[in-house]
Amino acid sequence: MTTKRALNQGRTPMERMKIALARMTPGQMVLILIMAVVFLWVILALMIVPILNLLGTVFFEGGSFSTDTFNKLLKSKRAMKALRNSFILAPTLSITVGVVGISLVLITEYFDIKGAKILRLGYLTTLIYGGVTLVSGYKFIYGSNGILTTALRSVFPDMNINWFQGYGAVLFVMTFSCTSNHMIFLRNAMRAVDFQTVEAARNMGASQWYILRRVVLPVLLPSLFAVTILTFITGLSAMSAPMLVGGTDFQTINPMIHDFANMTTSSAKSLAAVLSLILGLATMLLLAVMTAIERRGHYMSVSKVKTKIIKQKITNPVVNVLVHIYAYVLFVIYVIPVIMIVLFSFSDTVHIQSRQLDFSTFSLENYRSLLSANSAYRPFVVSILYSSVAAVVVGLLVVMACRYIQKRRHSIGSNFLEYGLMIPWLLPTTMIALSLMLNYNQPRWYMFNQPLIGTLILLLFGYVIIKLPFTMRMTKAAFFSLDNALEDASRNMGAGELYTFRRVIFPVILPTVMAIAALNFNSLLTDYDMSAFLYHPTNPTLGVKIKSLTEDMGTNPNGMALTFVYAVLMMIISGVVLYLVYGRGNRDDLKE
Amino acid sequence: MIDLKGIEVKFGDFTALKDINIHVDEGQFYTFLGPSGCGKTTTLRTITGFIEPTAGQVFVKDKDITHVPVEKRNIGMVFQNYALFPTMSVYENIAFGLRVKKVNKTDIDRRVKEMAGKVDLTEQQLARKVAELSGGQQQRVAIARALVTNPEIICLDEPLSNLDAKLRVQLRGELKEMQRKFGITTVYVTHDQEEALTLSDCITVFNKGRIEQTGTPYEIYNHSATEFACNFIGDINKLEPSFVRAIAQQSNRPMNAEKPTYIRLERIHVNEPEKGNLVAFEGTVQGREYFGLYFKYLIQVQGQVLKCIEKNDGHKYFDEGDRVTVSLDPDHLMTYEAGDQA
Repeated sequence: MTTKRALNQGRTPMERMKIALARMTPGQMVLILIMAVVFLWVILALMIVPILNLLGTVFFEGGSFSTDTFNKLLKSKRAMKALRNSFILAPTLSITVGVVGISLVLITEYFDIKGAKILRLGYLTTLIYGGVTLVSGYKFIYGSNGILTTALRSVFPDMNINWFQGYGAVLFVMTFSCTSNHMIFLRNAMRAVDFQTVEAARNMGASQWYILRRVVLPVLLPSLFAVTILTFITGLSAMSAPMLVGGTDFQTINPMIHDFANMTTSSAKSLAAVLSLILGLATMLLLAVMTAIERRGHYMSVSKVKTKIIKQKITNPVVNVLVHIYAYVLFVIYVIPVIMIVLFSFSDTVHIQSRQLDFSTFSLENYRSLLSANSAYRPFVVSILYSSVAAVVVGLLVVMACRYIQKRRHSIGSNFLEYGLMIPWLLPTTMIALSLMLNYNQPRWYMFNQPLIGTLILLLFGYVIIKLPFTMRMTKAAFFSLDNALEDASRNMGAGELYTFRRVIFPVILPTVMAIAALNFNSLLTDYDMSAFLYHPTNPTLGVKIKSLTEDMGTNPNGMALTFVYAVLMMIISGVVLYLVYGRGNRDDLKE
Repeated sequence: MIDLKGIEVKFGDFTALKDINIHVDEGQFYTFLGPSGCGKTTTLRTITGFIEPTAGQVFVKDKDITHVPVEKRNIGMVFQNYALFPTMSVYENIAFGLRVKKVNKTDIDRRVKEMAGKVDLTEQQLARKVAELSGGQQQRVAIARALVTNPEIICLDEPLSNLDAKLRVQLRGELKEMQRKFGITTVYVTHDQEEALTLSDCITVFNKGRIEQTGTPYEIYNHSATEFACNFIGDINKLEPSFVRAIAQQSNRPMNAEKPTYIRLERIHVNEPEKGNLVAFEGTVQGREYFGLYFKYLIQVQGQVLKCIEKNDGHKYFDEGDRVTVSLDPDHLMTYEAGDQA
């Protein structure tokens, strides 16, 4: 219960706004006015207007309403094929990731598997090593000159060296790169299982399989639904995997949008727009389904005294051996690319080219050359700058917004902020990128008459936008889990609103805000999807650079060495960030 | 000192408080008592200013403060969970209100240390983080923090409810002792009737947003004004109409047996020697609970079961099935209008 609640209840938002205005001091009014201008601009100029403009490109291509663009889409074989491919990839990926993801969770958290701790570390590598870097690593091993391919070829000389290309390859790479959500959310759900229910079932004579099926898995079901839908969306919006290992036959929506967007004709651009629109609608639909499922709620344990899971030993010895073998095969699949990348990052280019490990040639030469060549370290610096600035800007914006929402819940302003800042959650990254790209290829008055294409700021805007929803959700949760009494106590002792915020509220939420900023920094550092559209030509980001280096993996050993060094450094940074955020103590508040 | 006049608080359509009139004297320990949701905390928060009433006025020393913002009232408050700032040390917590008032550094230091001494916090404890303190120490910090700015009034919102039973009793004593020492006007909110009875100079019993009764602990307990109040405070027997008629007959007094009639457990005596004004009935012991300090008996009398307690003094000791005489003083009956219990 906060101040004035008694007065505010039962009034319309308009009336409440009037009352709030009447009570404000001049200082507060100026502050609110500045905030209003900033947020209106962010939400309108950076999100709503560009998206509307994108819709305009689709439906009003010739100045009047038409559905010509859809006809063009239907006639474009490439585009239709990409659409079809995406809608093949997404459901199959959901299944394969589901199977692998559930088994990872059972192996690490439920069954008594020897070496589970090591296995868990291996399975968690996708958290520090994902996206375009991961695809690059897999290509190094399975690609036409890859280690495995070369090895297989010595056994089967007639084999197709391009075997790792197309649908199967994309599915394979993505299956193992998309289990992060399972390892985070599903594992948390598993840890929340009340072990006494398992004991109770056993006490009543249920078998191991029966308990798993009827007692444990049903508890996980809501989380499983949610991660499956997230996987489906990831499948639809796949970008770097089809680009790098899809070959010509298996391109999906996003790479196609990227291709079309970079063509100069306006009809190609409207095709890109319509594809992104389809992707956007599909995403929205899926998220609506997910929200509906989430609203039905998670199973709350009724138990007051929860007992932790005691790992279940698999009773059937044959099954036990098979499960162990399966667990370690998965481990090898996860870990080999990481190990190879780390090892080869110390190797010289000759050995990288021939994929032969020779420890005698190991040196820090690759690292030294990264630091000495401007073209080599520049992408790294660019990405670090972009990511950190974006993380800070997003953090500041969202903290301000959340404070406003916390203080004036259900007012017009806070509703506008709450929904406005969550818009990017509904939209695929490529659609946001495309909308910015199409909208700001000319001067706009609301962007101070500056065209943004080819400027450094455009990508920063993109980064800020895509990080708004996650930051918003997490920060809002931090604000709302605050004990209201703290604020009451401060005001009771005579402190005003700003003083209370500065001295009491902000210090309490600061650790959470910093942790969120660190996570944002982490994920932006490896971004490819947004950068691919908006990067500044002379200042490519790390993701863009790695992608281009991976494309000519076969011909450019120096580039490969560089990729490995990037990857290692990124893994170190990500590892450190994740350790700082989650490693010490359990930061359960940051698990969505 | 504090006067609430015709206070009404509405949350939308829900009326949380209706026609609340309270007068607190200077230096008094005044308690708002009632079950959860009865409006006691809402009343307290109206005094501190966290809630603005939809009708009525709040006066402190005859000054109308109804629309004075929280931060300008200088009414100290101790919160249910203490609301100590987790990012600050104990010292910083206590100094907070003085810093806000821009008191100079040396004065802050002196007053914080003085106050810490009064509530038995050591210098080492001042340097600690609040999370490192025990529940009792945290409470003392909360009190010190509320008192350091020399407020004229201190409000406490169920400050003992988070503690375990033993600590609760111990701190209850400390709290009363501190209040005596500082002589500060205290408004205390609790749902615990024992707490209210032991601490207060005056109690207001709340129910469903209205005042049921205001009085001294003795009055509230022995002469509960309403059926709700008598039920809420302490354990009690409700007598069947037939039993009331039997009492009326034996004592030769006119009584309306249809009105709800109650008697407290300790006002029923077992095998007590006959006395002038006592009425007595034959009964059978049906059950017994042992509390150490006393026994609680269930006795079948006149077709109903009465609860009563007997001191565990080593003399009276009854077994199930024993025939006993139950006696009571008709003056000790409490009678209410039918339908009184809202």
